[in-house]
Order: sequence, then C-alpha cells, then structure tokens
Amino acid sequence: MREVAIVGIGGTKFGKHTERSIRDLALEACLKAIRDANIKPKDIEIAYAGNAVQWEWGQGLAIGQVVLRELGITKIPITRVENACATGSCAFREAWYKVATGACDIALAFGVEQMTVAESIKMLTIVTGKQFAEREGDMGLSPPALFALLARRHMEEFGTTREQLAMVAAKNRKYGALNPDAQLRNAVTTEEVLNERMICDPLTLSQCCPRGDGAAAVILTTKKLANRYTSIPIYVAASVQVSGTYPDDRSFTFFDTDVRGAKAAYEIAGLGPEDIDLAEVHDCFTSAEIVHYEDLGFCKKGEGGRFVEEGLSDRGGKIPVNMSGGLLSKGHVLGATGVSQIIEVVRQLRGQAGGRQVEGAKVGLQHNAGGFIHTDTGTCVIHILKR
Amino acid sequence: MSMNQHNGEGRFIEEGWFKKFAEGMVLVGSRCEACKKVFFPKKEVCPDCFEGELKEIPLSKRGKLHSYTISFMSLPGMKIPYAVGFIELPEGIKLFSILTDCKPYERVLKVDMEMEMVIEKIKQDESGNEILGYKFRPVNKGEKL
Repeated sequence: MREVAIVGIGGTKFGKHTERSIRDLALEACLKAIRDANIKPKDIEIAYAGNAVQWEWGQGLAIGQVVLRELGITKIPITRVENACATGSCAFREAWYKVATGACDIALAFGVEQMTVAESIKMLTIVTGKQFAEREGDMGLSPPALFALLARRHMEEFGTTREQLAMVAAKNRKYGALNPDAQLRNAVTTEEVLNERMICDPLTLSQCCPRGDGAAAVILTTKKLANRYTSIPIYVAASVQVSGTYPDDRSFTFFDTDVRGAKAAYEIAGLGPEDIDLAEVHDCFTSAEIVHYEDLGFCKKGEGGRFVEEGLSDRGGKIPVNMSGGLLSKGHVLGATGVSQIIEVVRQLRGQAGGRQVEGAKVGLQHNAGGFIHTDTGTCVIHILKR
Repeated sequence: MSMNQHNGEGRFIEEGWFKKFAEGMVLVGSRCEACKKVFFPKKEVCPDCFEGELKEIPLSKRGKLHSYTISFMSLPGMKIPYAVGFIELPEGIKLFSILTDCKPYERVLKVDMEMEMVIEKIKQDESGNEILGYKFRPVNKGEKL
C-alpha cells in the first residue's frame, strides 16, 4: 500500500439549510476542498459521494455526478456510497483505498445530507422500520432507547453516573460554541443538561445529537505528489472498516466493532492510544462517547465515566475528544458526518483549529459508527491521521 | 391482559416467532445440533458453524433484565411513556422486549431482576385489529405502566 495524504478539505456549516438544495451544499464543500488543495478539478481521477438517504430531493441516486458536473468533473468513475451513519467515512475510505493501491493518484470524497426537509416520523420509519429481522424498531427500539440501554447497563456494572453522562454533553457543547461550522453554538452546563426534558432515561435532550443539513469534502493524493498541493500534508496512518458480530453472550457495555476496529487500526499505524493527541468519535449520544473511550483504549474498561469527569477527554487532558463539538453540537448529518470528523482532525493537525486548537497535535483518531443492529453497530470505521 | 386472556389465539406481529409446545404458546428459537448455539428468530442455517441441522426449540419464558429504559419519545404505534429492555434468556439470547406491569418503574425495575414472558396486544393495525406479541414483566409484578 502507498502512503496517502489529505491535501484539501472543505465543509459547510451544519444546521438547517432548507432554503438551499442538497446539490448546492455538496458543491460548496467540494469547491472549498478543491481551492484548499489549489488543484484543477480535471486532475481528479476518481470520486466517491457519500449520501445515506434521499429524504426528499430527487435524482439522488446520481448525486455524485449531479454535483461534480457543476465543477466540470465528468468522465471519471463517480460512485455514490451508502453505509448508514458511517456513510461519509466509507466514501473517504473508498477514495483512500484507490490511491493507496495505486489505481489512481488523485481522488475526491465528499459527504452530504439534507435531513431537516423530512418529517421526523418518516425518518424514524426509515431508521427503525420493519425491515429488521427481530423487528426491534417495530417494538419501540429507537436510537436513543438503544443508547439508554447501553447507559443503564454501564451505570449498573461500573457505577457510571447521570452527572458523568451529562458532562459529555457539556464538554462537547463548550467546543461547539467555538466551532463556527457547528449547529448548536450555545454552551450548556452539566446542571442544565441534567434538568432538561427526558428523552429515554437516563438520556436528556442535549445528550442526543440533533439531525441537520450540510456537506464536507476532502482531496487525497499520494505522499509523492502531496507537496504540489499543500505545505502541510496530513497522512493516513490507518484506515479500518469492520462490521458487527451482534453478540448475545456478552454484557451490553461495549461495541464489538469498536474494539476490533481500534485494535486493527493501532496495529496498522504502529501506534497505540498513548500516541493519540486528539480524537473525533461518534458521540450520537453521551453514553456512546463514554463507551468509545473504553473501546478505543483511551482508558480501561469501566472507567469512561471518570475519564470525562476528571477532564481527561477535555482540552489539556490525556486525549481531547470531539474538539469540533462532536455530533452533539454539529448535529449528525449522516452522509457528511464522517468526512466532517476527518476535516476537523486535519484542521487540528495543521494547526488551523482556531480557538479549539489542541497545541502541538501530531496524531489524531477519527471514529464513525454506522447503523445499529441488535447489540452492536453495523459498521465501524476508524482512521488514524498524522502530520 | 395477560396469558390468561390470550392463549395465543389472534394475529401475531410475526407468526414465525411463536409456537405451541407442551408448555403452551411460547417463543420458538432454533438450536444448531452441531454447535448447540440457540438463535432467535429462527435461522435458515447456523450462522456460527454452518454445519448442523437446526431444531426448533421453545425458548424459556423466564429471563433476567439485562438493561432497561423508559422512553418518552414516541415511535409509530407506541404510546409514551413506555418501557423496553434486553432480557437475558438462559439459552444465551439477549431478547429485546417491551416491558409491562412495572409501574412505578423507578421503584420496580432493577437490572438483573427476574422477568417472565406474557403474550399481549402490542399495537393495532390500520383496521383496528389487535396485533399480539411478547412482552416481559417482573416476576413480582407492579402495576400497569
């Protein structure tokens, strides 16, 4: 495999963009990434378009071509990628794979989603509908319910508290307030989070990520060509994608996908959790972030609650997590989420993260989970990026 | 309503989930005769070893409450608030289930408590007909939620 570098990044603000088309959102992100890399659109040899669901807009099955036509990117292979909540990361990974294996030298990956145009009941039906074998969604299992079940068992086995769960939201919203591209830009205190409306006990409103609209894009090339486009190439030290095992025989306090994915990623990168300077992880709910600390090896099993309480996942801590504000602040914009996490890590490693910069960051980890199936996530994608 | 009123007569949410055994209408799983692993819902082949014949077996009506939550967020056909959880069955299955007879939940529901299966109305179809399914309730049951 060849070493691959990220040489261009671009993204829109996440939030409500009902006045714009999904094509327009994706176009903004791609154009920013192309200008960031100072690359000619016609030099791009392959492109992947991450888009999970066409909630309203038509012609979505050809969204890659529809968007890239506007930039004169035609003729080349362009493919739409879908993999639930990990859609964006999988689009990125396909682009990385083509460059790493030598199939081409320059690739574009973007992710886009426009969710606020859909009725929430329609979204819930798509996400939790009857297609599941166990019909769990048909019997009341929503995404917040699943992550509440994870929280409850974790509280029981390890003494994790409601306060510790709420602290994850308070931390991430503090950094969301510093991120101009985040959807929710007001900080909230732990106390406020605890007193909010209950969604699925013990998860209150701010402990559940909002949906949103937005797009993010990256340009990848080889290590050899990277210096043509940027003075600070960011290298992909590991790219791992795994699917779930949905275990019945183990306690529901972890994700098997995370554990196997992290182990593989550290091995490939020749690095360990002790080398990670910051991480963007899939904080769809606060309990998820606490479990990810453990599954990714940032702390020991059962110590995730204390990890946040002691400030170890805050800036200045052992491994600052979700300095972008995370999904809890940005919103979970399915197709765009994974690519957006990657561009935040790139910004941090370039030293361009403004008020939320982790000083001297050299290695960053990105973690994106996709879909929930029974006791596991369907997909887990992990990237380790380095300067 | 409980098993007393519903002897398994009526329309089930999934017909293939239930079967009448000597112990009455219960959930039916499949056990691989080679690796002995049990699955629910029934499988076509053993996804673990791909070797053995699959045999239909009745699943235990009792299990432990592995985790639970009370949802205040509505889903189609669900009246809020409602309680759901994972039930750990002796066959090694974590079964997602609606929980019933557990009010007030803060006092009644405890992780690892003993639960039992009942067949009850889950929801109504478009014509107003009852759709039956399984739920679990504490063995020492509380009031209806």
